Amino acid sequence: MIQPQSHLNVADNSGARELMCIRIIGASNRRYAHIGDIIVAVIKEALPNTPLERSEVIRAVIVRTCKELKRDNGMIIRYDDNAAVVIDQEGNPKGTRVFGAIARELRQLNFTKIVSLAPEVL
Amino acid sequence: MWSALLRSRLAPSSSAALHQQWRLGFPCASRASSTSSAAAAAPQGVDQWSILELPEVEKVLSDVRADDVKVIQGRKDRDWADYIVLATGRSSWHVKNIAQALLYKAKQKQKGAQRLMLPTVSWSTSSGGKSSAKKDEKEGKWVVIDSGKVVVHALDEEARAYYDLDGLLTTDTRQEDSIQDLGKAMVKIRRKNNSKRRTQDGA
Repeated sequence: MIQPQSHLNVADNSGARELMCIRIIGASNRRYAHIGDIIVAVIKEALPNTPLERSEVIRAVIVRTCKELKRDNGMIIRYDDNAAVVIDQEGNPKGTRVFGAIARELRQLNFTKIVSLAPEVL
Repeated sequence: MWSALLRSRLAPSSSAALHQQWRLGFPCASRASSTSSAAAAAPQGVDQWSILELPEVEKVLSDVRADDVKVIQGRKDRDWADYIVLATGRSSWHVKNIAQALLYKAKQKQKGAQRLMLPTVSWSTSSGGKSSAKKDEKEGKWVVIDSGKVVVHALDEEARAYYDLDGLLTTDTRQEDSIQDLGKAMVKIRRKNNSKRRTQDGA
């Protein structure tokens, strides 16, 4: 459940460290974003000497949420943190590696690129 | 532009219960169609769960002259695809063409089938522009053709060097000794007594 003003960790090596959601893309009056949703976010914290800077506005895909993700077969996936992967306007990831476990749902949502960079797919 | 209906997201053959469930959902429909007169017209021996087989992909890639084709077999820990194929295109146009050729092949293979199953293609579309004409413009930096078992990555040279998928997919990043490390981490350590006060028995 990510809403505007939520802070998220960054699960890739793009150089950003922390994001703040400012908008959920997809509908005009949507309240929460879940795994696989694209959000507009502002970089709250970034590593020095990287292309991304603090207070830059970027797009990101949510890959992990504390709010549990339910599957049709009864499986429930819940992570310890809220995390997102920074993407550009074309949908390509900015970083070259994704860290941590990623849910299989991202592949169905057409984020195969992120899934293929991830070390583990749940 | 591919509508959501045309997109068929297929499961790799070896995978979790989630996929098994989906698999159960569909075959009834195909059986129903094959009992009808379409049986003869149906493509010979097309397995629903492999829209594109590896030899076909390799042939198409050599036909469109994709450079540096590399086939990587899926591993146990990477069970979401059986084969990952990397290919380089010389230009963004060429990369797009690789994807188009694979889609065309999938369509040809299923000619006459009642329901066309096409691989999912992740185009990198430039959705930044406001106008709809710009929106459909496909960029050919990195296109993924995901046909369930076989996932084809078509990249231009720059993107291939940048993302270094070869390095990522070929190196074994599994941590075999993670369990031993865990064991070490779980060992209870007696806290060091840094206090200046003498212990009672020492006095």
